[in-house]
Amino acid sequence: MIKDFIRKRSINICLVCTGGCNGCDIEVAALLSQRYDLEQYGIYLHNNPRECDAMVVTGTVSKQWQEKLVELYNKVPEPKAVVAIGACALSGGIFQQEGEKVGAPVSNHIPVDAEVPGCPPRPAEIASAVLKYVPVALANYRRKS
Amino acid sequence: MSYIPIGPLHPGIKEPLRIKLKTEGERVVDAEVDLGYMYRGVEQIARGKPWQKVAYLAERVCGICSDTHPRALIEGLERIADCVPPLRAQYSRVIIGELNRIHSHLIANAIYFLALEHETLGIYLLNIREKVMDLLEMISGNRVLYSWNLVGGVRMDFKDSHLKKILENLREVEDHVTRYRKMFKTGPLLGLRSRDIGKLSKEDAIDVRAVGPVARASGVKFDWRTKHPTYVDYFDFEPVWRDECDNYARVMMRFDETLESIKIIRRAVNELPSGPIRKDCDIPRGSIDYRYEAPRGELVYIFETANHGIIKDITIRTPTVPNLEACAKHMFKDSPTISDAVAIYQTIDPCMACTERVVILDENNKKEEFRSFFDVSSRKGSGEKSVDKQTKI
Ligand code: SF4
Repeated sequence: MIKDFIRKRSINICLVCTGGCNGCDIEVAALLSQRYDLEQYGIYLHNNPRECDAMVVTGTVSKQWQEKLVELYNKVPEPKAVVAIGACALSGGIFQQEGEKVGAPVSNHIPVDAEVPGCPPRPAEIASAVLKYVPVALANYRRKS
Repeated sequence: MSYIPIGPLHPGIKEPLRIKLKTEGERVVDAEVDLGYMYRGVEQIARGKPWQKVAYLAERVCGICSDTHPRALIEGLERIADCVPPLRAQYSRVIIGELNRIHSHLIANAIYFLALEHETLGIYLLNIREKVMDLLEMISGNRVLYSWNLVGGVRMDFKDSHLKKILENLREVEDHVTRYRKMFKTGPLLGLRSRDIGKLSKEDAIDVRAVGPVARASGVKFDWRTKHPTYVDYFDFEPVWRDECDNYARVMMRFDETLESIKIIRRAVNELPSGPIRKDCDIPRGSIDYRYEAPRGELVYIFETANHGIIKDITIRTPTVPNLEACAKHMFKDSPTISDAVAIYQTIDPCMACTERVVILDENNKKEEFRSFFDVSSRKGSGEKSVDKQTKI
């Protein structure tokens, strides 16, 4: 109960880069700067799946990631949410072509709650998506156990 | 003796990669690097496509040096077509290229400071980088991927207001970066974490063919820009270099290059010639090995074209490949603690998205392995085949 209440105000996110071009990742990193100052909204960016509330996934889900992404998702404590960022994570983007076997979209592997399109999306869009939809997704999360 | 795995997901490492450290107590004695998490087959997709599509794809090999990749491809194509773009286009390529270099160096240093847990400097640097990103967005329309270069010229022209804004923002960036450079130079704790850590001697750097800022920080005075016609003819470019060979030198190197790039841009803006920005070129059949200096070092594009600029075959070697080798072979040795190993890894400014484009099929064991280009070239003849090489058009 208390945990749920507190989590509404402070969200720990874990950035998982599954094989894009890095463009989306540097846009997430840019959110740390004072101009956007992610932490003033109570969002803390940390790459540790065991401590996070929401996973932010970028990239095309390359072959090595396909099983690991599911494993990683299972490690995140409940309730959890997933935000997919960028054309790569939504559809495979330019890398989803004949002859290539990338595993995009991310929603084929794990349930996705919010999607931010763009190649890459602007940092402000990423921040607003996380702020708006992650609390809703956490509140609506149906526990398995 | 024990083994400590770092990654693929680690707070200090922003991109997925696994490093296995062999340690004695806290001291690192050896390291192994395991790649493959970012493989997406860029070269395979590029085969048989017209250059317009390949330029779009080359930009997405790496989102940080996203100006350098298409530029190397397109200048290579221009060399095949024997076509020299108009002077104004050459100057505007320099401006965008150097802005891109500044933003890449600033984020590299910021991530190094975040890895040292010195958040103040890291976040200051990220913040001043936003000024550069603003310029890039204002000029090209996108913060990260600019699609700036075309065969025979560039996509758009500068307006006068753009040039004014560039000079204005750069003045601010220069002031701040000079201040942060001084903070890093005189900060006692930062010095303690950076000086004499991650040594790469000049001989070792040449031996593993380290490139870019990593090599220049070890005293190798080489920069591909000294061979680029625009820089040679109009900018009297001199590479910056240092001889301390450690983490400190590599970070300092990036600060110095940032200041150098600011000077180049200022000169380009002040001397920007008027005239057209693009001219017609037809691309004949041909092949080329083109090299250019990316923010991280030497970038190699080797490709073959059919008539009208269809790319028949392409190989890309990115600067992180030899630098990673230098890091794993020489720099990790004798790093005093494990957290220093993470910091050392950040000073080579690794870009995994660039590096991973080859899969090896071991036909005997029916096992797929992911390897960097460097390993492939050094393991030739051991009965393995690269999948990439099997599909020829
Ligand atoms: S969506 Fe675009 S910017 Fe983001 S990782 Fe994919 S190619 Fe790069």
